[in-house]
Amino acid sequence: MAASNPMNPWHLWKQSFGAWEQATATYMEQVMSNPAVLGPAGAMLTAAMKTKAATDRAIATWWSAVGLPTRRDQERSLHKLNQLESRLLDLEEQLADARAAR
Amino acid sequence: MKGPIDSLRALARRLGRGLPPVGQTPHDVVFAENKWRLLRFRAPGVTPSFRTPILLVPSLINRWYILDLQPGRSLIEWLVARGHDVYCIDWGTPGAEDRFLTWDDVCDRYLGRAVRQVARRSPDGVAHVLGYCLGGTLATTYTAARPDHVASLVALAAPIDFARAGIMATWTRTPTFDVGAIVEAFGNVPWPLMQASFQMLKPTLTASKLVALLDRAWDDEFLDGFLATERWGNDNVSFPGACYRDYIDRLYRGNELCAGTMTMSGRPARLADIDCPTLVVSFGADHIVPDACATALLDHIASPDRDLLRLPGGHVGAVVSRRAADRLWPMLSQWWAARDTDEERGIAHDPPSGDR
Repeated sequence: MAASNPMNPWHLWKQSFGAWEQATATYMEQVMSNPAVLGPAGAMLTAAMKTKAATDRAIATWWSAVGLPTRRDQERSLHKLNQLESRLLDLEEQLADARAAR
Repeated sequence: MKGPIDSLRALARRLGRGLPPVGQTPHDVVFAENKWRLLRFRAPGVTPSFRTPILLVPSLINRWYILDLQPGRSLIEWLVARGHDVYCIDWGTPGAEDRFLTWDDVCDRYLGRAVRQVARRSPDGVAHVLGYCLGGTLATTYTAARPDHVASLVALAAPIDFARAGIMATWTRTPTFDVGAIVEAFGNVPWPLMQASFQMLKPTLTASKLVALLDRAWDDEFLDGFLATERWGNDNVSFPGACYRDYIDRLYRGNELCAGTMTMSGRPARLADIDCPTLVVSFGADHIVPDACATALLDHIASPDRDLLRLPGGHVGAVVSRRAADRLWPMLSQWWAARDTDEERGIAHDPPSGDR
């Protein structure tokens, strides 16, 4: 019954970890919700995202300049196909409802 | 009693066996559209004994099998074994083209179709809808806008009042956080980015998990459950870009559900219009959806039949743990059983109109 003994080293370590975890979690929650932390974090994330988007746009512009479809063009086409599939399913449902009502 | 050395030995033995299997309750795919599928579950030798089927709506960014984690740790398995006719949405993995899917597409078109497909298979043309986490927000929005086929609503740890959503609300309302820039850069918002923001909610969680593992991994049952939950926790999906933008702008920033300004495909989605039986389940140690954020639903709806179930536990553990089999699952089953027919629900339903 070593582990259930309150003087067991593992048991003692777990207790101190629990205390540390509770204190750290409370402290970190305060830090993470502080506008002084969130503001710069948001600004850095936004800057990184804008840089990535600008780079992607530049590559896409070059790509389309040689007459090739861009990744975005393909995504749009596939999305339209999915929308068409959904419309067809809508029609199937309406037909089934109409048949059931007859 | 055993200790960390035994746990390390058990972990070493377990390494060779790979990850535990998940989502094992037998099921059929009864409908599919784009990436999402509608699954219907069955138990050998058990015929559904309740009139009204149940549709489970998991979070859009997590895999459905959290509701069917492992035999003995599965809400779905438990319900099916007790005669419920259970369906669950598998949202699938969005492709790059799904960056254009909006909240309305997911909520009205996809969830709406799932509700109608399930309702179509029920004698009364209605279905009980249970939404878990973000799935609960979707289910609530849908029920508020199109209540026709919804027999009852269960919001399981579902965020509703986003002003009380804790650090996530503070983070997404930070003026320098530009949701449009993220969507423009990535298309679909990558799950590791979202995982990082959830880590932000409780940065010490990983360390706590490791200590729990060292403490209990010698117990095979604990270790299997732990690994299955971790497998699920690291098997997330990206958030469709336009849908994420709507989610942040309309819900986290605009808090439109509580403000009464939410719409779905142009139709008002007012919580005050929800008049079907409604059950809210919240968990005391849920750091993702705080109690006040989830229970706010009951303050806004019109339904005279509304219940609140507050249970101990965290956002995930309280749904899949062995303890859930003793309290949460039986309570859900009893709540649905008591509202199985129109008479029991106290609502006279018009025949399904086919309106969509």
